[in-house]
Amino acid sequence: MFEFKPILSTLWHHKASALLIALQLALTLVIVSNTLLIITDRMEKMARPSGMDIENILTVNFLAIPQDYDMAGAVRADLDMLRALPGVVDATHSHQIPLSGSGSANAFQTQPNQETGGEVANYYRTDPHFIESLGLALVTGRNFTETEMQVLAPNEQRQAPVIIVTRQLADKLFPGEDALGKPLYNGDSPMEIIGIVERHLGAWPEWSKAGNVVFFPALRTTQSMNYLVRTESGERDALFKLLADKLAERDSERVIEVNTLSNHMARSYAVDNMMVKVLSTVGAMLGFIVALGIVGLTSFWINQRTKQIGVRRALGATRTNISRYFLVENSLIAATGIALGAAAALIANQYLVRDYSQPVLTLLPLGICALVILLVSLGAALAPALRAANISPATATRSV
Amino acid sequence: MLKMHNIRKSFRTDTIETHALRDFSLEVKEGEFVSVTGPSGSGKTTFLNIAGLLEPSTDGQYLLDGEDVSNLNDRQRSHLRNEKIGFIFQGFNLIPDLNLFDNIDVPLRYRGFNAKERRKRIEKVLEQVGLSARARHLPAQLSGGQQQRIAIARALAGEPRFLLADEPTGNLDSLMARQVMELLEFVNEWGTTIVMVTHDPDLARRAQRNIQIVDGQVCDLRPVTEQSDAVSA
Ligand SMILES: Nc1ncnc2c1ncn2[C@@H]1O[C@H](COP(=O)(O)OP(=O)(O)OP(=O)(O)O)[C@@H](O)[C@H]1O
Ligand SMILES: [Mg+2]
Repeated sequence: MFEFKPILSTLWHHKASALLIALQLALTLVIVSNTLLIITDRMEKMARPSGMDIENILTVNFLAIPQDYDMAGAVRADLDMLRALPGVVDATHSHQIPLSGSGSANAFQTQPNQETGGEVANYYRTDPHFIESLGLALVTGRNFTETEMQVLAPNEQRQAPVIIVTRQLADKLFPGEDALGKPLYNGDSPMEIIGIVERHLGAWPEWSKAGNVVFFPALRTTQSMNYLVRTESGERDALFKLLADKLAERDSERVIEVNTLSNHMARSYAVDNMMVKVLSTVGAMLGFIVALGIVGLTSFWINQRTKQIGVRRALGATRTNISRYFLVENSLIAATGIALGAAAALIANQYLVRDYSQPVLTLLPLGICALVILLVSLGAALAPALRAANISPATATRSV
Repeated sequence: MLKMHNIRKSFRTDTIETHALRDFSLEVKEGEFVSVTGPSGSGKTTFLNIAGLLEPSTDGQYLLDGEDVSNLNDRQRSHLRNEKIGFIFQGFNLIPDLNLFDNIDVPLRYRGFNAKERRKRIEKVLEQVGLSARARHLPAQLSGGQQQRIAIARALAGEPRFLLADEPTGNLDSLMARQVMELLEFVNEWGTTIVMVTHDPDLARRAQRNIQIVDGQVCDLRPVTEQSDAVSA
């Protein structure tokens, strides 16, 4: 038996403080539900598959010191050496490092000399070892061959006749069609799609078009070069130092920097990670403050009503009756706050969606947040409510 | 109705142990109206609290309505208080945020009566204490005497066998005190056993029997008429 009516009339006499707590709960629900949404959105983004064997790839960047450096020769020699190292699965050169935040992009069209339209995509100049060196999955078509490789001078603009693209890009440019064998353009000469890889997240995971990637079989002989070296599972860290030493030993006229692909990825997700941490902390702190407020108010009300509680006990209330009274009272306040908060959260979300392109708040996460807030509220009221049950019935006759 | 044998009650606060009641034995018969007098601090309220199951005794035996209630647990004591005992306090102890109707409703809800039964009983007792017209008023809108009559109505609504009053007229002027006393006498005539603590010798004398508590013990059991000199001395 819940004493809704008398509790409501009592609350009516303390409507200001009850409403204050309800509003605090409402505001918390607005903030926490929208925060949770942003957090899950970020976490989903970070959990996206990259398409690459992230954990087992070492990256090498070097800058050649001599002005007349034989880059093509160095690359050949370096890669031959790297591929021969025990523990190395494969190695490739690439003009940019994936997930590193630096990359190149261009528009690719389905028709020659198209001025507009098409899709913007990251592109990489690499060699036939890139699929194996990144652990990509070729879903259809074939890999590049060594004879398709083009060696370009530093400023030479020459289109590759064959390319490999990601499935995402293929589906965007040729929706509902088989893209294999179709040409792409960036000007007038066709680049035939000879293979499609399942997935590659490209240079910028944050980018709205992340996953649009094109690979060219080419090597441009600038002063700087990158290698991507895939090791056998678990061998990466052991090879880290060896790789740097071997490369320096083979040719010391360059500045070499070895890193891991996981590091590059972590750096590009640093902002998301930070966001998740900051928002979770803010949400937890908010919950804590609200809980403190409820503990405070409930304790205050119970102290104010010590005599009344004694009288109720004298009139036959059991301990359970007393605790339940305060928990029901708390739930009524919380329910009011949650109802107000749910409405406000949905309204606030509309602005976030419209002005900050945040995800849409659906009823499930809102319901989960509401439930959590209700439980926090009840949990906070529990200790004072149990203490209230210990007030002696003799308080009715003893205190003045 | 009530039978106490060698009841002892002591309070322990930090270092001092106060014996509020010791070797306290008393019997109150069904339908009696007993007044309790005695000096301040002699243990009158303590006796009433134990009789009304508000506090357990430290030692001794207490039979209420033939049932040994000395060792009941808190829940059983709460139910007994609710069903068999009505309380009237010196300070009225109405709940300020509830109107008179809801105040009388409090013990009836704990009893588990349905809404219809509760309404019937509340209307009946409101009529008995002559305050039907004020049912929706808040306690603060009533005079002291009226508040005490509501408190009596609240005590009576559950139709208790046993009514306990601790200085029910202590906060009232003599006219209002007389009205409250008349109400209690009326209730007693209808069969409710009443034990009333009072400082007022005139009111004490109106009871069928007077008990004097001195220093935590029943001092004397004499008919009220012979005792009046002793009280004023
Ligand atoms: N909770 C308590 N803790 C400690 N001592 C107490 C407590 N309650 C009562 N006492 C002591 O027990 C003794 C009896 O108190 P009680 O209230 O029963 O007296 P009383 O006869 O009702 O007095 P009064 O006429 O002033 O109301 C007193 O000495 C009092 O100080
Ligand atoms: Mg007293």
